[in-house]
Amino acid sequence: MSRVWIVGTAAITALGEDADTLWGGLLAGRTGIGPLTRFSTDAYKSHVAACVPGLQPQGPGSLAHALLERLCALLPPLPPETVLIASTTKGGVDCLERVARGLPADADDIPLPALGAALRRRLGLTTPAITVSAACASGSIALGRGAQLVTSGAAASVLVVGFDVLSEFIFSGFSALQALSPDPCRPFDAGRTGLTLGEGTAALLLTSPERARREGREPVGELLGWAASNDAVHITAPARDSRGLIQAIRTALAHAGIEPGDVGGVSAHGTGTLYNDLMELNAFRAIFGERRVPVYGVKGALGHTLGAAGAIEATIALRALAEEVVPGTVGCTVPDAAGAGLVRLGPAPLCGSRMLLTNSGFGGVNAALVLGGRPR
Amino acid sequence: MKIFVTGVGWAGTAGMGTGRGSTPFDLPPGELPSISRHEVFPEADSRFGRLDAFSRLALAGVALALRDAGIEHWTAPRAVGIAASSTYGCTGTDLEYLATLGEAPGLASPQLFAYTLPNVFLGEAAIRFGLTGPTLIVSDEEGTGSAALETALDYIAGGGETALAGICDLARPAQLPARVDPTPGALFLVFERRPTLEPLGALNWPEERQTHPDGSHGLRALATRLCTGRPFSKIRTTRKGTA
Repeated sequence: MSRVWIVGTAAITALGEDADTLWGGLLAGRTGIGPLTRFSTDAYKSHVAACVPGLQPQGPGSLAHALLERLCALLPPLPPETVLIASTTKGGVDCLERVARGLPADADDIPLPALGAALRRRLGLTTPAITVSAACASGSIALGRGAQLVTSGAAASVLVVGFDVLSEFIFSGFSALQALSPDPCRPFDAGRTGLTLGEGTAALLLTSPERARREGREPVGELLGWAASNDAVHITAPARDSRGLIQAIRTALAHAGIEPGDVGGVSAHGTGTLYNDLMELNAFRAIFGERRVPVYGVKGALGHTLGAAGAIEATIALRALAEEVVPGTVGCTVPDAAGAGLVRLGPAPLCGSRMLLTNSGFGGVNAALVLGGRPR
Repeated sequence: MKIFVTGVGWAGTAGMGTGRGSTPFDLPPGELPSISRHEVFPEADSRFGRLDAFSRLALAGVALALRDAGIEHWTAPRAVGIAASSTYGCTGTDLEYLATLGEAPGLASPQLFAYTLPNVFLGEAAIRFGLTGPTLIVSDEEGTGSAALETALDYIAGGGETALAGICDLARPAQLPARVDPTPGALFLVFERRPTLEPLGALNWPEERQTHPDGSHGLRALATRLCTGRPFSKIRTTRKGTA
């Protein structure tokens, strides 16, 4: 199978937009979660979130424009024929909120493909953009789709950009579902009380080794395997027996041509909700058996960034491969019994040369990626 | 490789139809009728009535396409994927949810919120039909469904057995400007590596990832060709701009 190199990454999160600051923050156990002031939270179950510092709307358009404009400044030069795959759960829903309230809003940002198309034009790319929406697995599924386009020869290079901004629409909904933690979330902790929302964006540039060499681009890692699945059990709750995630992980490992024993670390979805975290830990037990592969989740530091999560977490996983160490799980102090020996509270060395990344979401979706470090 | 088209199902302003049925394929502009359970499923279905309008429309398209392909019924889960494209997705449901939020922020409807992700109907379809493959909304800028079509075909080319590609939109919500105004309706096609029934058509994939001679592409164009009896060799798809 053709190989997929990752030749550029960028991320903007509640811990800032500098890669070293993000990585250093995760290693130090810092959190970007703080009081939420963007709108009143008086009626909701939580009053905290992980917002990108200094993010302000630019006129009546979606706040996502401001976020993506910052991201553009971090991107490497792109071949004009690069295919942009945007991943988002709700795109410009902040504009829809304002439309519903009779406030000034740019309604052109509301259709699902709109913000991806706007970003594509902003970047001067000539190929129409694709927008992936698969709930909280959007980013990782978009990466898999991008890799598929590269390996099939349909695209020479693909820029995957995951993004979502925090809106009252999303916040109120998770509050209504009783899914928000009143305090900063504690993924995989025995006393976890729910998730904390965040916002952010990340970009990964995928291309073939041949194309990268021709353009003089240095790889930062490889996307070796990918898979997605559906639980076919429930639209908002994970399968108790982890069947969908297990299927996705096994397929991704097979696609990468590796065994579970080759996995040196796991970037887990780790929302901090009771059932998601337990479902994931049971899946990891099913895959790894008694092997104590280090598992971590970043949502205690960055919040749940929804459609951006997979892309953000992939940039972090690539850094983990480069440094040969996984960060700890910010917010987790006493791991759930199901995660004993797996969940790392602080930084830990990788125990293999491949990283597994997983996400799951509403609609029963699961996604798994296998990442490799910088090709030698 | 040769990928077979084995089912077509649609629900639109002019009614519902399937590739093997007698109703000519047509998804004209107009007003969508409300879809009731008995029009789609002969047996009782306690979930259907609780779905939002977007999910009901899309699920009708999926059900009709699977039925047309002869693979609606199942006994064990199967790794069938679905890729669907939409312009507005569940924006109508979003507005309904926002109305409950406007009435009392702390009492917004969790039931409605659960349907404010455009991919949730795919979960409904997965549950009803035992589909455990990849499910995603993948929308192209032009609203043709070409991105969904290519995703489904690539899934099979990558080793999958069966996938559906579809396009689904309700009418543009009245609060939104008419600059982007997709034709309402749902259209789903079933693609199989090994067909259960006599195929309706076939594509050589990925060889046919190229521009169709007349410039038309996407799911509607493909369904039109399939359902008007054109030879299979004329079926072409494209991702315009990269072909």
